[in-house]
Amino acid sequence: MNDDFLKLLVRKRIILIFVFLFFALVIYELVKIQLIENVAYLAKSEENSIKKMEQQAPRGVFYDRNFKLLVTNKPSFVAILNPTKYDSKFDSLIEKKLQLDSGYIQKVFSQSTTSRFLPVKIKKNVGYDFIAWYEENSDSLPGVSYEIEIQRDYLTDISCAHAFGYTNEITSKQLQEKKDIYSYGDIVGSTGLEKYYENELKGQKGISYILVDSKQRVIGKYDDGKQDIAPVKGNDLVLTIDYNLQKVAEESFKGYRGGIVAIEPKTGEILVFSSSPTFDLRQFTGGIPPQKWKELSNDPKKPLFNRVSSAKYSPGSAYKMVLALAGLEENIITTSWTIGCGGGFLFGGNFFRCTHAHGSVNVTRAIEASCNTFFYQLMLKIGLENWAKYSRIMGFGSKTGIDFPEDNSGLIPDSNYYNKVYGKGKWKKGYLVSLGIGQGECSVTILQLAQYASLLANFGETYQPHLVKGIIENETQNYIPLKFEKVKTPISKKTFDIVRDGMFKVVHGSGTARSVFIPNLTIAGKTGTVQNPHGANHAVFIAFAPYDDPQIAVAVLVENVGYGATYAAPIAKKIIEEYLVKKNNIEELVETTIIN
Amino acid sequence: MRVSYKIQDRFDFGLFAPMLFLLIIGLFAVYSSTINHPVAGDNFYKHLIWIIISLFIYFFIFILPKNTIRISAVWIYFSSFFFLLLVLVIGDVVFGAKSWIRFGDFGFQPAEYAKVGLILILAYWMSKEKEKLSDALTIVCSLAIGFIPVILILAQPDMGTAIVFIIITITMLFWNGLDLFTMFLILSPGVVAIASLFGWVALLVTLLLVAAGLIFFRKNIFISVTIFIFNAIAGFAFEYFVRFLKPHQQLRLASFIDPYVDPTGAGYNIIQAKVAIGSGGLWGKGFMNGNQTQLRFIPQQWTDFIYSVVGEEFGFIGCMFVLILFFIILWRLLKLATNAKDRFNSLVVLGVFMFIFTHFVINIGMNLGITPVIGLPLPFLSYGGSSLLAVIVLMGIVQNIYKNRLEQV
Repeated sequence: MNDDFLKLLVRKRIILIFVFLFFALVIYELVKIQLIENVAYLAKSEENSIKKMEQQAPRGVFYDRNFKLLVTNKPSFVAILNPTKYDSKFDSLIEKKLQLDSGYIQKVFSQSTTSRFLPVKIKKNVGYDFIAWYEENSDSLPGVSYEIEIQRDYLTDISCAHAFGYTNEITSKQLQEKKDIYSYGDIVGSTGLEKYYENELKGQKGISYILVDSKQRVIGKYDDGKQDIAPVKGNDLVLTIDYNLQKVAEESFKGYRGGIVAIEPKTGEILVFSSSPTFDLRQFTGGIPPQKWKELSNDPKKPLFNRVSSAKYSPGSAYKMVLALAGLEENIITTSWTIGCGGGFLFGGNFFRCTHAHGSVNVTRAIEASCNTFFYQLMLKIGLENWAKYSRIMGFGSKTGIDFPEDNSGLIPDSNYYNKVYGKGKWKKGYLVSLGIGQGECSVTILQLAQYASLLANFGETYQPHLVKGIIENETQNYIPLKFEKVKTPISKKTFDIVRDGMFKVVHGSGTARSVFIPNLTIAGKTGTVQNPHGANHAVFIAFAPYDDPQIAVAVLVENVGYGATYAAPIAKKIIEEYLVKKNNIEELVETTIIN
Repeated sequence: MRVSYKIQDRFDFGLFAPMLFLLIIGLFAVYSSTINHPVAGDNFYKHLIWIIISLFIYFFIFILPKNTIRISAVWIYFSSFFFLLLVLVIGDVVFGAKSWIRFGDFGFQPAEYAKVGLILILAYWMSKEKEKLSDALTIVCSLAIGFIPVILILAQPDMGTAIVFIIITITMLFWNGLDLFTMFLILSPGVVAIASLFGWVALLVTLLLVAAGLIFFRKNIFISVTIFIFNAIAGFAFEYFVRFLKPHQQLRLASFIDPYVDPTGAGYNIIQAKVAIGSGGLWGKGFMNGNQTQLRFIPQQWTDFIYSVVGEEFGFIGCMFVLILFFIILWRLLKLATNAKDRFNSLVVLGVFMFIFTHFVINIGMNLGITPVIGLPLPFLSYGGSSLLAVIVLMGIVQNIYKNRLEQV
């Protein structure tokens, strides 16, 4: 830029003036705060640092349907070491007192992901004996301390682990998603109701401002704690679970694998939700020990797996009422339509077996005696589309809408499905025959079976199955009942009457589950024995009672044991007996007392 | 042309060495503030990788033939427009601003890219037609080039980058020979508009100053009155316009003027940064030993508050060392801008000078509590891939110009 060289030099000087001015200002400021006022700033940094501390809020508690307290909170001691003050010569002593492996403390220090200035939680769930010993000797144990953490406490002898679920420290992935609500180290619901109702249960964290020095020593409260915000406990849940019934279910399932669900048909309230084998939630409080986790997840019996609403099974003969409903409601058959059962059915070159030679059977008799031959032929008569339609009407093949994180849809194949899997026109009608007896490619959950039993019990009307009746708001202590959607089928009462009659005879006629008979009680049910590739047959039983005014509907599935009537039905019987007989006895007792 | 085979004559170590030192100091500061952090623990390694990649690009740009940069100016500027629009559509919101475009794990800030584009296009435009320097149309076009992207950047909103754009544009016009009266003409409406935010008294006082300025320039009465009316309209119209903004937008404007509107957020950071720097003393508390830094009193310290890490752990000596390094770079840049034979080259170097100086002033000023909290990184030191790459690319362009400084193209 030769043309206006002089002018450019002037412009350069103007800019330089700004540069010099700013550098002078910065140097002045640095000299002032770093050299002249250094002592004051050092004091501020050393002694007067305000640190914002979050305080854990107690989670809401769980009650059963009769307001029996099931899950609550308890304080727990956590041993803490402060690396800046702690002397490693105490390692072996502390390790012995806390029952830790030798060298554990140094291992934790070296693996710690946080700053070496910050205290390390060395052990959770520390016993009172350690705290007592520490309190006596605290003067000679620099850098050792403890704090109180709030943990879940399980008050009763029922497990109910899959329904309740467990809590755990928030994962970094969850933290990324909800940065504004949670912070590092927060406890959140990981599974079950703890997860589904997390927003109700979590409460509000408290905030306290404390004064700490450079070594993270607490000097005192900032502003006498006037700025602090106290934590607010979460809202309580009132479950639909019946403690006594759940206990009976868990006890009768000991040693078996499978699940049981009991529902009050008129409301959709789940009385029993039990998956077996189960596990002890007490092992999970205050974080899951990795070793325990490994042990449980590697267990071949899969105790962590929720068999009630996550596992899919073929329903077996318990599914036969779907076909009966479809045939009758679509006017494809009537009660006078009979077939002759000679012990099986020959179709497309394959022989499909029946349990006995039942002779001449109509629809009621076929349900009562669980005649496969009848349903093989009915399946071909009603066709795949009607079968799939009525399966959906009865709640299969879709989510139940339960207030629970796990709600498997199961699988109801239709022609689209078969076209996709086998190719259009490449699948045979013979594939359908086994669907008629609830075998083959259809699969359902135990929860869906229980809802199905509810619909049969209550003439096609119930509510979405649910585990929580209502919420007790912490602030007001008001009980707020929750509302769930109504489930209604378009099937006529007349059709239900015929099918229910068949189910009644299963127990009270010459049916497959006469052993379930309880004096003075009318029970309707249906057995199922499910062939499966994993070994012996699964035993299935669905039932409802009393027949005229159903108050309970039950679905039981026991894995790999044999006949439904032998293994599943007795468990259902116990549940129904416990619920209705004892309840009625109490009512009678009350009545007689009043009369006397 | 004098041909020299000495390397010093083709590569300016006076620009390269201080930059390298600043990058190393930045690495130490990022390491200290993040290595023990639960979420940001791997930032040091990411930062190191970004430095290595950027330096490769730096040398690549250095060896490019002399005309490449001039030719690419238009392309870079208009493609940066595209990205600025794109970020408003698909951008990620980070700390309240929609300023990130993500491709999987990799993210970049179009605003940083646009800063490079701005400097190049302005230099290109202003050096095109020498004779038309004072042509009103050229000036208006230059202002349009600089200010239209500002609208897109304010939409994110990214106040810091918008300020950088405005300052660079006006300073480059000034460097290109704009007379004082035109400077006054351009700057006064903006000053009046900003003053209107501070209330009626400030607005009236500023308008009086404008009137005084007009008298000083002794233009004819008609022109002077027109300019004064224009200024007054700018002030009142802006004040009126602000009332129609949504409450949260008004709050954002308010916190631009006074960061203590939000004392638990931005105000808290300034206090803690000042305590960190002040407590560093003469020699500092030592690497990895600053309690303010290690106990994480300042959130995201490794980005905009990196200078407070230096201040706390390396003390007055460390702070002064950083200042001296910046001073050498700024001095060399200004010298090169003056000496470069070619107008385009001179303007580019001045643009880079202004880029570094504006970031430096706003960032250091914020750390010391002199200027309001405006989120701008400290060049060469702050963690952040896009901004680091942008400033090193600009330094590479300068180095390329240094190589050809004695040539007139």
